[in-house]
Amino acid sequence: MQQREEKLLEASVESLISRVAHLKNALHSFIYKLENEYERLTWPSVLDNFALLSGQLNTINKLLRNEKTPSFRQQVIIPLLLSPDRDEELAKLTEQRVPVFSHEIVPDHLRTKPDPEVEEQEKQLSAEAARIGPEVAQKQIQTLNKLCSNLLEKLNNPRDDRDAESAAIRQNKPSFNTADTNALVAAVGFGKGLSKCRPPGPVAPGHPGQGPMMSGGPTLQQVTIGGGSGQQQGMGPGAPQQQGQAGKMPSNIKTNIKAASSMHPYNR
Amino acid sequence: MEAPPVSVLPITGGTINMMEYLLQGSVLDQALESLLHRLRGLCDNMEPETFADHELVYLLKGQQGNPFLLRARRSLSHPTVPWHLRYLGQPEVGDKSRHALVRNCVDVATSHSLPDFLNEMGFRMDHEFVAKGHIFRRGVLKVVVSKLSRILVPGNTENTEPLSLSYLVELSVLAPAGQDTMSEDMRSFAEQLKPLVHLEKIDPKRHM
Repeated sequence: MQQREEKLLEASVESLISRVAHLKNALHSFIYKLENEYERLTWPSVLDNFALLSGQLNTINKLLRNEKTPSFRQQVIIPLLLSPDRDEELAKLTEQRVPVFSHEIVPDHLRTKPDPEVEEQEKQLSAEAARIGPEVAQKQIQTLNKLCSNLLEKLNNPRDDRDAESAAIRQNKPSFNTADTNALVAAVGFGKGLSKCRPPGPVAPGHPGQGPMMSGGPTLQQVTIGGGSGQQQGMGPGAPQQQGQAGKMPSNIKTNIKAASSMHPYNR
Repeated sequence: MEAPPVSVLPITGGTINMMEYLLQGSVLDQALESLLHRLRGLCDNMEPETFADHELVYLLKGQQGNPFLLRARRSLSHPTVPWHLRYLGQPEVGDKSRHALVRNCVDVATSHSLPDFLNEMGFRMDHEFVAKGHIFRRGVLKVVVSKLSRILVPGNTENTEPLSLSYLVELSVLAPAGQDTMSEDMRSFAEQLKPLVHLEKIDPKRHM
């Protein structure tokens, strides 16, 4: 029975040592990164490191909580021999951190109670807690819980809050003007504001090409007039002549029925 | 009203019908920099390409009254490059839920005697303008951010004045007829440019 327990103890101590070694390495590399690669470090990578450390602590906790692990609290470590001489084995085991197993290191390494200062602070805190009474304490607990849940909610539902704020900010600085869009599209589409008999003066956005579209050069809008006898036929345009006005023509027609000499197609 | 799939189109003679899918918007001058930054991030990694073009629009008045429109474009920054002649059809009135303006498009490259040729054919120049700006590509999507300027003295491209205080932003794709998946891709790309610029299907006839 005892042998089994011993074996179990040994095994769990071994695994604990290996986990702690992992943790130590992670801490080591993190500290190195913080000290040496200070400028290139980004917040997400710092968060990654912290996440790694937290994960490793979690595994250690799980290991300790494992039912197969004997309770370490029941074990007692008693130093059998303290000597001020340098112990090479110990130094090798601890990577030169503990070269001597002497009276100075024992209080630090084999401590089971917290430091005296920490003990003082804990005593003060428990005295304070006992002083305020159970009801006040309960109320304080409830407020804390409410604050935490509010914060969690805000963090978990970012869309609603952020959109409202950002929409308010951006409304003050519009980056496009719909009237301009329409003016530009009209200009590219059919030359509104660009034709040869253009209106004088600079064009203010939103009022393109409203000057006189007179004679001079017939623009697209005026081509329906004087269509000639061909207009009487149906609106079956040939394949290439699909461009131009929309919809049914008849309303715009001024039917100049010119007999034989209809408009010469190569009229300039 | 869909064109037949490409495999059925005649192989002898004629070309595959190309359609241009188009979304347009504009951005104010002061917001141009942020738009260019965003486009540089979203689009394919290439050297930012600027262009300066002079476009002339020619009209042929037919008997029936619907003029036939051709667009001739030449580069002001590369004067020896061939001219580009383009025909754009009427926007296809189809599915209202289609997100982009779709129209038939025919493009050819021509020699430098194009204006004279068109004049001899009976076309008359209706209007001209200068477009200067940037062009970006993302796969088959093409984004053109251009400043349109009016030419004050016909033929003189040095003397120009901007049409408005905004840049025109156009998102276009050239695809064979029948492929309707383009408009979805265009719409998702347009979403990424909001709220800097709203790219939408603008029917030019509405602004006559």
